[in-house]
Amino acid sequence: MGAISTIANRDMKSFFLSMKGSVTFCFLLLLMGIFFRSFAATFIDIQAQTAQMGGESPKLAQLMTAIFQNLQFILLFIIPAITMSTFAEERKTQVDRLLQTAPVSNVQIVFGKFIAAAGVLGIVLATSAVYPLFLFKYGNPEVGPILTSYLGIFLLMCAQVAFGLWISSMVEHQFLAYIFTSFGLFLLLILAWVAPNITGSGASEEFVKYLAATPHLDNFFSGLITVADLGYFIAFIGIFLFFTNVAVDAKRWS
Amino acid sequence: MIEVVGLKKTFGNTVALSDITFSVAKGQIVGFLGANGAGKTTTMDILTGCIGADSGTAKVAGFEISESPIEVKRKIGYLPDEPPLHKEMQVIEYLSYAGKLHGLRGDKLNVRVADLIERLELGVNRKRLIGHLSKGFKQRVGLAQALIHDPEVLILDEPTEGLDPHQIHQIREMIRGLKGHHTILFSSHILSEVESVCDRLVIVDKGRVVEQGTHQELAHRLDGGREYQVRVRQGARALASNLETDFVGLSAIRADEAEQTVRFVTKDGDEILDQVARCVLDKGYGLRELAGKSKKLEDVFFQLTR
Repeated sequence: MGAISTIANRDMKSFFLSMKGSVTFCFLLLLMGIFFRSFAATFIDIQAQTAQMGGESPKLAQLMTAIFQNLQFILLFIIPAITMSTFAEERKTQVDRLLQTAPVSNVQIVFGKFIAAAGVLGIVLATSAVYPLFLFKYGNPEVGPILTSYLGIFLLMCAQVAFGLWISSMVEHQFLAYIFTSFGLFLLLILAWVAPNITGSGASEEFVKYLAATPHLDNFFSGLITVADLGYFIAFIGIFLFFTNVAVDAKRWS
Repeated sequence: MIEVVGLKKTFGNTVALSDITFSVAKGQIVGFLGANGAGKTTTMDILTGCIGADSGTAKVAGFEISESPIEVKRKIGYLPDEPPLHKEMQVIEYLSYAGKLHGLRGDKLNVRVADLIERLELGVNRKRLIGHLSKGFKQRVGLAQALIHDPEVLILDEPTEGLDPHQIHQIREMIRGLKGHHTILFSSHILSEVESVCDRLVIVDKGRVVEQGTHQELAHRLDGGREYQVRVRQGARALASNLETDFVGLSAIRADEAEQTVRFVTKDGDEILDQVARCVLDKGYGLRELAGKSKKLEDVFFQLTR
């Protein structure tokens, strides 16, 4: 555990010290702020309409859900920026030899880098807690759906980070890692929508839909935590970290 | 301390190592000599666990690298040809990080970092970002990183590459200062550097070890004999004639009247030198010097790798 936390701490600190890290961090928070401002205005409009015309008034917690649903698209550009350099750039500059010649295992290296990237995103999410705090100041939203939404989006981020690390461990240039990770995450995002077009109906369509990440967020956004959804994200993260470990090990023999 | 037997490594269709076999005894500084592309870095990368060998064994302090990589890495400090430096970190931060990777913590880590900063004269730059340092200081930081856990074995891949003469001298002196505390495998293609720093040489060419031993042993083996020079007070030419007529087993005898020296090559050992010295004294030439004159390392190297 010592080596994992040492690697994770260094990578996180390095991320925030770099121009890329600061810009990414600020950009993500700024976009969430713009979403919040925009959806808050829309929420007030809808609330006024329902007050006049009757019908069910929207819930405050849905405002956060709306932000996270839109955030999924932004993450297509943010996650690759965070993961692209983890292995690819270190290999190119040969800094990776520091870890390769230290008495640490590949598993510790992979976990260290995963925790660093996930930690960066965790800090972004923690900072974004200022938006729900506004909701609590001016309204009375349900706590449960907000917390589960945060958990869901964090699990999605972790899964995307694991995928990005795998790509970064396989390619030589961080630019290629960025492109391939963005493309891969985009495919994962649209998998549920295109499933009927690329499969026959029935079991195969359901299977392809199951592979997509987005449907597994619906329960989290509704305030539910199910074993199936948790299992999906944990399995996804585990599989891609395993692939990353294999790729890092394979580089020794190439 | 280091034992390498029959290492082979290919990259695609390119054979990087075809047969690397050598050993390094405890406390020695051994020069790993070869032209660019001879296989020095590949061998060092295998020894340090950066890459795996196709076949053969590499043991460090009794541990086989493919079977016990973590144990081997605890024993080894490695300075690659391009030091693995995080340029966005301060020198002191980076050394602490390297120490933590080797399991050092607390006071032990702080003392070790402070000691290395002092020994490698990094004090002025301890708070500077590594990316802002000169090449020479970066090399020192890389060396400090390799020494952070006080390893038994130090592997240095062309540590003076790209440095100016002043920096080369400083790094060489630092490496000399490590002699005795560490077993050092030191690669270079600068022959004079290897000659001045190392106890023994391992010469590699086209992925195989072509010769190993001390400089004198290599020269002797290649010559089929060793060259000696006798300096006299007077009569160098006459002495050369004496040696030609009176001694069996001397060859390539040549005199230099201006320097009053006579050079000769012999396969025989001390006995014939005693006889030569007695001849010089008995015949009144006046003995000033009798010394072994080995072939230059350049000659040895080119003969083995041509």
